[in-house]
Amino acid sequence: MTKSGNITSLFGKSPISPLQKHMKQVHSCIKEFGVFAKAAQSHDWDKAQEARVSIGNKEKKADQLKKKLRMNLPSTFMMPFSRRDLLDVLLIQDSIANITKDLAGLMMTRHMVFPKEFAEDFIKLAELCIKTSGAALVAINELDELLETAFSSRERKIVAEMVKKINVLEHDTDTVQNDIRNKLFLIESDLPPVDVMFYYRAIEWLGETADAAQKVGSRFEVMLTK
Amino acid sequence: MEIIVQNSDILIMLGIGFGLFMAWGIGANDVANAMGTSVGSGAITFKQAVVIAIIFEFAGAVLAGGEVTATVRKGILDSGSFVSNPELLVYGMLASLLAAATWLLIASSLGWPVSTTHSIVGAIVGFGAVGVGVDAVAWGKVYAIIASWVISPIIAGTLAIVIFKSLQSNIIDTEKPLENAKKYLPFYVFFVGFIISLVTLLKGLKHVESLKHLGKDLPTSMMIATGVGILAAILAAIIIRRIKINPEDDSDFSYANMEKLFGGLMIITACAMAFAHGSNDVANAIGPLAAVYSIVESGGEIVSKSVLPSWILLVGGGGIVFGLTTFGYRVMKTIGKSITELTPSRGFAAELAAATTVVFASYTGLPVSTTQVLVGAVLGVGIARGLASLNLRVINRIFLSWIITLPAGAIMSILFFFTLKGIFGSS
Repeated sequence: MTKSGNITSLFGKSPISPLQKHMKQVHSCIKEFGVFAKAAQSHDWDKAQEARVSIGNKEKKADQLKKKLRMNLPSTFMMPFSRRDLLDVLLIQDSIANITKDLAGLMMTRHMVFPKEFAEDFIKLAELCIKTSGAALVAINELDELLETAFSSRERKIVAEMVKKINVLEHDTDTVQNDIRNKLFLIESDLPPVDVMFYYRAIEWLGETADAAQKVGSRFEVMLTK
Repeated sequence: MEIIVQNSDILIMLGIGFGLFMAWGIGANDVANAMGTSVGSGAITFKQAVVIAIIFEFAGAVLAGGEVTATVRKGILDSGSFVSNPELLVYGMLASLLAAATWLLIASSLGWPVSTTHSIVGAIVGFGAVGVGVDAVAWGKVYAIIASWVISPIIAGTLAIVIFKSLQSNIIDTEKPLENAKKYLPFYVFFVGFIISLVTLLKGLKHVESLKHLGKDLPTSMMIATGVGILAAILAAIIIRRIKINPEDDSDFSYANMEKLFGGLMIITACAMAFAHGSNDVANAIGPLAAVYSIVESGGEIVSKSVLPSWILLVGGGGIVFGLTTFGYRVMKTIGKSITELTPSRGFAAELAAATTVVFASYTGLPVSTTQVLVGAVLGVGIARGLASLNLRVINRIFLSWIITLPAGAIMSILFFFTLKGIFGSS
């Protein structure tokens, strides 16, 4: 009378709450970047280092969650969405934490402090990116309600609204990113060229986190329309 | 003829012993599967499940089990082949009971999901075809039974999709799911109570001597079925009213309270499942026993009297309860602990579909596997995008268990058949 002998064996482990947990972890990782960026700009390198370590740990934890979910997803599982789409969403979620970790690492090793012309804009951009990721988390958190209603059109509309919000936020990050680039362009000839190169890169990477959050939303919508 | 008369007591004793063994196996294994989803969704405690099983398995067996019992008893074999050697039929039925029960014991201890129905059908066909002769088997009926094993899960799945979709549009996917659940759920319960009791009245009761007259009259049957349905609906409404609603629970997950209502009604669906299971599966134990009894009692004549003496039903019902209380409760406990992904609303849809399908199978006299019907129903809910994940590997295992169980039951029953023939002799 072991497990395989009864009806229990029919039920696989639900991937829904692991996916939500992963996104939550990813979001807490990028949230930590807000702390890091502020500490770095005020030359508080001890605090920045602390935040950077925390970002690293959170990224690692997200990575573990990702691996665990993948391992528990054999191809014989029948799910209300395609396995491929689910794995895509998971990978994109994970990329937010990866980019965040790389960005914090780059800024830390170079002790990157932005020129006062756009230092505040960079903090603002970071906050916007965190918000975008937060909006993606809200959408992902709707997944259990989606399942309960068996992916009804009513719930899907709610999610569509959430995804719209993510898109608006992402668009805002693009605008701020452009502002920063314009400001940097005006002063770049007065700055050390290598620094300038990495300023551009840092801005680009930060913006990529918002892009990824947006992709999470749009991929999530695809996942729902089976 | 003489052999039967001389050994009548010992043959009947063997029949009762093997019948109890088989019924014990059914109680130890099958019942837990039939009711596990109710326990698993946390809707009823395991003690409640045992009490429900005892009452409704019995009721199902007595009130609606006659048609399947008749099939197992005399439908699978062609009785014409046994007129000159009725003792062969007695040995064969005894051998089949022992073979199926032994196979169940072996398979269960190895953890294989075998069906009690498949083992007994395999055993009877086995001794009939090999021990007596290929012509002794009523192949047409056997093919119909095998076809029903494929069709019944499909019907249950389709029904589950329909029920679940209607729950979705009437209750779950509405602005006020909680209010709508209160309003509509009693109707679902009415419907199920009505169908199950109507089917039972029309076909099941003709095998119960004292209640026979009820089923003959369609208007009366309709009225009684409506009455039972209304009673069930009232019971459902009372249960729903007694469930405490806590609006705070909905802050995190807005369907928490609605699920609680479904959960309360799982008591009723568990009753339906136990009744359905009793109506179909108890026959696997008492069908062969009834065959042995009627031949021995008539001194070797193969008669086709259809009403069973009530003590045979007692052997079946008692054996199942015995199996459930000695072993089945452990299986039920494991199931109760391990299913967490099946929420009450899903369990409700799946169990209603499965119970209805099994009762209909009992109506037509086809012995189906309750577990497989339930698996079909759960898959139906999955297809309707109602479940997070289903492990389809189980389907392979079910097919595999078919392929193993039929010949395993057959080979063992052939062995036991020749052993018995050697001991008691043949004219």
